[in-house]
Amino acid sequence: MVSTTARMTTPNILKYMEINMFDKRKSSRQGSPQIKESIAMQENPSVAAQAHSPAIKSAVIGLDIEITGDVKASANIKINGHIKGSIVESSHNVEIGESGKVNANISAKIVIVAGLVEGNIAGSEKVLISKTGSVRGNIVAPRVQLEDGALFRGSIEMDPGKVVKPVSPAVSRKAGNSSHAGSSIKDSSIGTGAAPVQDTGSKESGLALKSG
Amino acid sequence: MPPLGRVNTVATQVDLNAPASSVVRGVVVQTSKLFPSLFRSLDTNRRLTILDVGAALPETVQFFSRFKCRIHFIDLFSEPVVRELQQVSNPKELHHQFEKLLKLPHGSRLDICLLWDFLCYLDDPALRAFNNVLRPYMHSRTRAHGFGIHHLAIRLENKQYGVMEEDAMSVRLRQTKQLATHPHTQVEMHELLSCFDFERGLLLPDGKLELLLRARDDILEF
Repeated sequence: MVSTTARMTTPNILKYMEINMFDKRKSSRQGSPQIKESIAMQENPSVAAQAHSPAIKSAVIGLDIEITGDVKASANIKINGHIKGSIVESSHNVEIGESGKVNANISAKIVIVAGLVEGNIAGSEKVLISKTGSVRGNIVAPRVQLEDGALFRGSIEMDPGKVVKPVSPAVSRKAGNSSHAGSSIKDSSIGTGAAPVQDTGSKESGLALKSG
Repeated sequence: MPPLGRVNTVATQVDLNAPASSVVRGVVVQTSKLFPSLFRSLDTNRRLTILDVGAALPETVQFFSRFKCRIHFIDLFSEPVVRELQQVSNPKELHHQFEKLLKLPHGSRLDICLLWDFLCYLDDPALRAFNNVLRPYMHSRTRAHGFGIHHLAIRLENKQYGVMEEDAMSVRLRQTKQLATHPHTQVEMHELLSCFDFERGLLLPDGKLELLLRARDDILEF
């Protein structure tokens, strides 16, 4: 299986989307990534505030965007649109806004849900479901917080004495099918043909998309 | 008069002192004399497994966040099979439905079952089916907390519950339509909920019976 995974940076993400949207051969083989509109990459103060380093930028998946496939990032991600796939993964934070909808597993350092999630969530630091959030799936995190009004159905696994190091998407890709990240993450790496990516830790945001 | 059998040994008391309660942000905090017994014997050196058959409430998550644990929130109150019990008369079908709802990971053994007033909304066949489905997930030290009513005249309020502290629960109004109640005497409940023994019972001022349950002796050691 040919992979469409690629490291995205601010200047070339639109080019990537253009290539994938009009590559019919690729679409017919794998099911096309249904990116309906453009993805804006911009600084997001609300998410950035959650990050430990002020240098970490955020990728925002906007309200009218629907992505079928996996999303991997070395930046914070805010999702206001709809993602259908097997994994949304960040080595930093993932925030699902009130209008956001995710049908996929989520793995990040801190996960904040104000929208709708159907899938499992792994937070290496914390998972917060806010008052408008709704989650159907299992949560694993050292700390989990529900706000009044939050809807949750599933199991919550907590361990206050444990802080798990986040899985870096870059490392995950380099490791190929290694089993350290659980089955869903492992599956998302199958057939990855992209060149190994160095997580430079620079200020530039990184976002990788993989068609479903 | 029905034979009382082992149920006669249940330490049912009338709570002469009404439970102290306070209201914090619209949530009534009600002290419980039986809650401490529920948490006292926990082996906190290993991961605890908890089943809450009610809605996931912030205070319950916050309370258990101090433990290494896994909580299963399965809001059975909102499940169609429970809301429309009259339409499922076949015991096998009931068993199948509860089995689907209570599908915990293989090998799961519950330390605590938070049943709240769920038992009051189950008729006899449903209570028996629930018991049979729950049984494989129990071990010899499984404990449960719940409420019972033994008479239709006792009005059960449409409430949902959470764990506030080791000796206090939260009580909130449930937004969904109230289910039909099915009162059971202790004898009936003891027969139908056969995986538990009644450790203590406390008659509350509103007529509800607060129950502390423990796994029956024939439940296998974990």
